Amino acid sequence: MNVLGFDTATPSTAVALRLDDGVTLRGRDDPGPGERPGHTTRLLPLAHGLLAEAGVRFADVDLIAVGVGPGTFTGLRVGVASARGLAQSLGVELVGVSTPRVLAEAALRPPAAPRPPRGRMPVLAAIDARRGEAFLAAYAAAAERPDARLRDGADAIRAHELAAPQAVPPADFAGFVSAAGAGGGWLAVGDGATRFRAELQAVGVTVAPEDSPLHRVDAGILCDLAAAQARGAAPGDRPPAVLPDYCRRPDAELALEGAAAR
Amino acid sequence: MILALETSCDDTCAAVLDEAGGGLRSNVISSQGVHDRFGGVVPEIASRHHLDIVNLVVAQALEQAGATLDDVELVAATRGPGLVGALLVGLCTAKALAAARELPFAAVDHLQGHVAANFICAEGTPGSSGDSFEPPFVCLIASGGHTLLALVREHDGFEVLGGTLDDAAGEAFDKGARMLGLGYPGGAALERLAAGGDPHAHSFPGAAGRGGLGVGRQAFARSLDFSFAGLKTALLYRIRELGEEQARAQAADLAASYQAAIVDRLLERAERALEHSGLDRLAVGGGVAANGELRRRLAELGATVHVPERALCTDNAAMIASAARYAEHLAYPGYLALDAYATGERPHPGRPRSAERAVGRDATQAAERPA
Ligand SMILES: [Zn+2]
Repeated sequence: MNVLGFDTATPSTAVALRLDDGVTLRGRDDPGPGERPGHTTRLLPLAHGLLAEAGVRFADVDLIAVGVGPGTFTGLRVGVASARGLAQSLGVELVGVSTPRVLAEAALRPPAAPRPPRGRMPVLAAIDARRGEAFLAAYAAAAERPDARLRDGADAIRAHELAAPQAVPPADFAGFVSAAGAGGGWLAVGDGATRFRAELQAVGVTVAPEDSPLHRVDAGILCDLAAAQARGAAPGDRPPAVLPDYCRRPDAELALEGAAAR
Repeated sequence: MILALETSCDDTCAAVLDEAGGGLRSNVISSQGVHDRFGGVVPEIASRHHLDIVNLVVAQALEQAGATLDDVELVAATRGPGLVGALLVGLCTAKALAAARELPFAAVDHLQGHVAANFICAEGTPGSSGDSFEPPFVCLIASGGHTLLALVREHDGFEVLGGTLDDAAGEAFDKGARMLGLGYPGGAALERLAAGGDPHAHSFPGAAGRGGLGVGRQAFARSLDFSFAGLKTALLYRIRELGEEQARAQAADLAASYQAAIVDRLLERAERALEHSGLDRLAVGGGVAANGELRRRLAELGATVHVPERALCTDNAAMIASAARYAEHLAYPGYLALDAYATGERPHPGRPRSAERAVGRDATQAAERPA
């Protein structure tokens, strides 16, 4: 099965093509500080480049995978709209994957960040949510959870979700990790982890080194997760309906309700 | 066949048009009523709604056309101007639909779309003569988002004769309606109220009556530009002068007089544009084209007037498909990097990104290669 996957939840555009033979090709665009995200202009060219490198075409893709965030609203819509358009046009299945889960999965896979002596650290996936907040989600290694099921060997899903993504201000970081209940020893990854390094360290969370690849969404892992989640059924005539996980309601709605409540 | 998408504001639209004859096969418009309670279109909410239903709207357009994606030879979408977040939903969807099948793609300017609505053969559609209207002609586009006078000599472009210096004509209707307590969007309600009023009861400043005096005012009076802000202010002052009770009692007269003043301005400029261009053919588009008073006054004009059916006047994808017939058809993969552009922004080519900014050993190089 050929899987084309991409994520646009962060300013980066991450694309991967997981081929039948197990080879995964990756391409990405990471805007520098102060540069605008290139989702719209880079996503499809990156995908086209990977297909050309592999000597295949869009028509050879069997599954589309897309990161559904949370993250920047416009970025998410560029990714999800593109994914839905491809899936609708190709008549193939579309799988939406939580972006923090992709970050956590990478962090829980060997070889990853150095392990603490006492075992595998639970992972706090953090995405910069702007407005002084981070989208946080918590994961532990699935093998340590009896209720989590592993699938097909090397592509086994390792990240088991302890707490679903939500927008959290730094003042509530401590409360979030204690409620997630892994008993401490957290490793934080993602662009929100570097953005809020000091605030996370202040509540006892270890942040992966600044230059660690774990802070960037790996679309290859997104493809693995989607392949494991895929139902293998053709979508039929139903248009694809995967949506972003916005995690926040539009400001205008909140303002209107606020005005009504006053 | 051409499959086109349009999501520049708060309508999610898809349409199918025959490439050869320009015959309309389907024209699906899904309007978002959700914005009314906010008193205006909220970009984030519009963008979310577009994404919710865009693929469904595409499927409906194909189904109503009796077609499938296999029949589509060209995909088109609005690239701008409009709300960028909203535009991107349609543009990204359309680029992906095309790329998956390696189809050619046409990126269409929204205003060129309104012009091209006149080229559509809508035979068998209720309320339409079915005939297309061919250049040369002067085109007046008046809606909640734009007010434009264009000289159309060819199918693939137009010359801007005049635009609005402040509010759009449809906006003037909506703002006047709000002042008269008619809610949002109140353009249609204002027209209904005006039907029972006297258009001569109140006098509002004429077409050249843009606030201020002197050279600027004279230049404006000679131009083909529109201004509605002064008119809106005049209505506000008139309501204040009358007081709440009297204003309510005379609401129908106020609405009729205000509407007549907007229509006066549109017609005065349109007539001048015809004179200026030496043409006697006028096409009218945009949501305001549905206004009965405007239509009545257009009929009195000594020119051949063409007003497409309502579904082709308001924002729709059929007009985008029509413009796409004459636009540049970009072969795959030449359109993959296309971006949207906002209102007031000129089209800009994609910014090249340097390879050294890429991260990871297998990053981007494949895509940096020329296709
Ligand atoms: Zn329009």
